[in-house]
Amino acid sequence: MKLRFVKAALAACLAAAAMSSSRPARAQELQVTGPLKGAPAVRHLRLYRKGRFELAPTASFTLLDEYRRTLLVGGRATYYVTDWLGLGVWGAGGVWSETTTLTNEITSVAQPNVETAINVNHTGGCPGGNCSMPTAGAEPSTIGKSSSQSFANQTARLSWVVAPQATFIPFRGKLAIFNKIFVDTELSLAAGIAFVGIQERGYCGGGGQIPCYEPASFALASQTKFTWTFGVDLTFFPSNLVSFGIEYRALPFYWNPAGFDTRGGGPNGNYPDNQVNSNDDTFKFNQIVTLAVGFSFPTAPKLSE
Amino acid sequence: MKQARRWLLLAAALVLLPQAAYAQQKKKPKGNTPAPAPVSADADADSTTPAPAATPPAAPEGGDQATPPATGEPGAGGEAAGADTGMDICQITPDAPQCQAAKEFNLGAEAKKTIRAEVYAVQQQYVLKGGRFEIQPFFAFTLNDQFVSHDAPGLALNYYLTQVLAVGVVGNWYDGLNSPSDFDFQNRRAAHIAIPLNDYQVSGDLNFTYVPMYGKFAGFGDFIFNYDGYILGGLGLIRTKPIPVIDPDNRLFNWNNLINFDVGIGLRIFFNRWLAAVFEVRDIMYFEKIESTSVGTGPDVPIGATGYSSNSPTNPATWYDSQTHFTNDIQMQVGLSVFLPTSFEYALPK
Repeated sequence: MKLRFVKAALAACLAAAAMSSSRPARAQELQVTGPLKGAPAVRHLRLYRKGRFELAPTASFTLLDEYRRTLLVGGRATYYVTDWLGLGVWGAGGVWSETTTLTNEITSVAQPNVETAINVNHTGGCPGGNCSMPTAGAEPSTIGKSSSQSFANQTARLSWVVAPQATFIPFRGKLAIFNKIFVDTELSLAAGIAFVGIQERGYCGGGGQIPCYEPASFALASQTKFTWTFGVDLTFFPSNLVSFGIEYRALPFYWNPAGFDTRGGGPNGNYPDNQVNSNDDTFKFNQIVTLAVGFSFPTAPKLSE
Repeated sequence: MKQARRWLLLAAALVLLPQAAYAQQKKKPKGNTPAPAPVSADADADSTTPAPAATPPAAPEGGDQATPPATGEPGAGGEAAGADTGMDICQITPDAPQCQAAKEFNLGAEAKKTIRAEVYAVQQQYVLKGGRFEIQPFFAFTLNDQFVSHDAPGLALNYYLTQVLAVGVVGNWYDGLNSPSDFDFQNRRAAHIAIPLNDYQVSGDLNFTYVPMYGKFAGFGDFIFNYDGYILGGLGLIRTKPIPVIDPDNRLFNWNNLINFDVGIGLRIFFNRWLAAVFEVRDIMYFEKIESTSVGTGPDVPIGATGYSSNSPTNPATWYDSQTHFTNDIQMQVGLSVFLPTSFEYALPK
């Protein structure tokens, strides 16, 4: 039965190959030698980008967050040297954030005990503030339960992003929607560097630092990450002045979104070491979707020949 | 006097004759003018495809541009005129495609044929889907489950009732590819919380697909690719079972059949008229049966043993959470789309 299936699959592959091999001759490029030889493929093309300056307010939403989602509001300024290349900068600030279901679950369920005392904020669980490093075997009740917002407060936040970038526009075309609406469309790629301001749990447990089980160790500290960024953008041009865009962007860098002590000790540093520091940072792709409304100046685009 | 009238009439007729000649409408050929025959998609002249006969050049890409001078139109000089003058272009460049075509066609006879040089407001769509089957193998990657991934190969079969509407089935096979993540492990160790996890075995859905948008892109001003965007929705079944993480010593779960609803949005990029790359995001929604986070407090003895009670951890009735949980399994699908039959005919010429 299995052999028959393999034979059938091989026969299907061969048939597909045979069909595809006979097609290229029909689709070969036309070598124009007549009066159209040398003529541009498109005449009087609207050059939406060339020589124009674009200002675009943006709203960005983080995707697939583990502990906290962020809404960033900002803008993009780009000057397009040619119709396919622009130089500019995107900047945004985190104006709103919300915890995820996982964060809420940890906040409401997690019992700080001897193993978790340095990972989950036990504010309110240390009567009189007499927190000390729990000893093995201590009853969880002596440490207490996390307060309602304690863990949520220790999760990291995206504060701001500034990304100088180059924008490439390799694809230009049209989109028909419901066979009624026809709009000029461009697919572009943006790549550059990024400075990302974050707030995450401060370092603790090291020499000269407060112990990680102290409530104060769960306070957030500001950091700036330097990384690269890229994005794929689909832009629609309903008019000469205004455009609408939707962009997928990645901001990959190492950080510690939960403020956990996960690495630094044991073989290969794969075990907790009672310290929270850069060893505990994990690589995150940090995906963002951005909506933009662009205004291009001068308001009238040039036309190609 | 009568002769003077005749001369005046003759003079007026002579004066009016050339004006009438300039403005008159072309006479339609009498007899049975053949209706436009269906045109094979293979004979279609796209911007990068050779036009076998004297087809006008395709409209430029990017749209909204002025149409180039119709220098390639038959009878307007250019190639067709060359046919009447002994194929001088072919004498210079005998390898040119139109000269190859000339060997197959009698261009002189072709040029004498009456054609309807009409301009169509809307061009043909690159691919006609109505009445064709689509076979779509794909691989799906989990997008939203950080604790256990449910990657799966899958296959969709659709039949297009019209150019924009299809009905079909889609199936995923997950078994053996469910994979708990390192993130899950780190969370369990750091916060000592157990998140109920589920394995998937297989899912299948009956879907309707609607294709509201299509378009084309010119890449680097050099090549052109066509694409369309679609949405889909339907319902089906998914088989899942909890991975025992709360009490793995006692709990052993069987597969559950759960009804699901799915919605998706996809993009097809055509390589040719029967083969395309497909990118789709699909959300499979259903009410999940998850493992209970509490363990029975009765005697931990096998069923039927002395001391066994309904509250024993070995009682399967205590294994599941009392409530079902609405679950979104969002997956990114990457695959190929094969349309059968591989060729089709347009009802009208371009």
